[in-house]
Amino acid sequence: MKINISRHYLYILLSSLFMFILVLLFAFLVLIPKGKEYREKRMELKKSSVKLQKYQDYHDTVYAKLKDLQSKNRHIITAFENRFDAKKFQKEHKSYFSSLSLSKISKDKDEGAFAVYEVNTTSRISSPKNFYNFLDAVNKSDWIIGVNFPITFKRDGENISSSFTMKVYCNKEDNNATASASKLK
Amino acid sequence: MKYSYIKPRTKTPFTQEVQLAVAFFSITIIMLVSTYLFLLYKDYNFQKEKNHILAKQVELKEEIVDMKQKIAFIQKQEALGEKIYTQNNVLKDSIENLFDLVPQRITLSEAKLLKNGLILYGITPNKDVYNFMLQAPLRSIFQETYSSFYPAKNGWLHFVSTNYMKDDFTEEVENED
Repeated sequence: MKINISRHYLYILLSSLFMFILVLLFAFLVLIPKGKEYREKRMELKKSSVKLQKYQDYHDTVYAKLKDLQSKNRHIITAFENRFDAKKFQKEHKSYFSSLSLSKISKDKDEGAFAVYEVNTTSRISSPKNFYNFLDAVNKSDWIIGVNFPITFKRDGENISSSFTMKVYCNKEDNNATASASKLK
Repeated sequence: MKYSYIKPRTKTPFTQEVQLAVAFFSITIIMLVSTYLFLLYKDYNFQKEKNHILAKQVELKEEIVDMKQKIAFIQKQEALGEKIYTQNNVLKDSIENLFDLVPQRITLSEAKLLKNGLILYGITPNKDVYNFMLQAPLRSIFQETYSSFYPAKNGWLHFVSTNYMKDDFTEEVENED
């Protein structure tokens, strides 16, 4: 049997075949692997996005906790940041005493992240009730102050003279710097 | 001499069939290449997005560490602040209790509150009043109690009452706190 095909059609057939093979090779060797890679990368990106969302949620939780703590302890935080001012202290608390004098503000042993200063105090009070009121006021003052032993009360005519030491606690300098930096942020 | 009545056609290699085949393959190749370019663009985009996500993740991590440090510090401040406020309140109650402890018939001239003790100076009408009304309650609080007396001008007695808690007992109480 003789197939009668013109040369022209033979050329078209051969070139079509060549192009078809080229298309197949391009599709299988380049396009399909690239498509696979695309799918993998899309999955990877999705996973990263989910992970990022988790981080974001955790970040938001920690941020909320920090803000909550800051608002609940605003007085304590600012009190630790304040440097002790003897004149201001006397001005704010002299109403509890007939006379109040502070002497010798000396640096005591640091307590962890906090600096401690010791202040010797002598005063005169008309009744012990004034001293109780003073202790209440100390807890609401602009500084963190602990009234310490020894405390002496001595009868002085109609009044009572008292002497005691106070320990003033504040942030160390480096902590203060961090706190200020974080406030600026 | 003319052999045909029609005009001869100019022959071209781009016959209709060839044009059809070329058009078909051209469209196919254009589609494949455009898909490839789309994938390349997406790839680039994914990479960019991933880098952004990683950078954001690192930033979040740093912020979390920083915030945790701040939280820990605030908690320390809170704990110390509360401890000091409680100590002041306890001190207030102790002083209040001390003055309530002294009966009307005994007059104090001086009181020294120490970390683990109490020294009282005062005047009492007689030893019995002192022993029953002041020393008894003091004994229930302190482990060591010493008293000394010397006569006053009005016939009453000056007294010095020294009271101490044993160190191990003080430590025990502090540990309980």
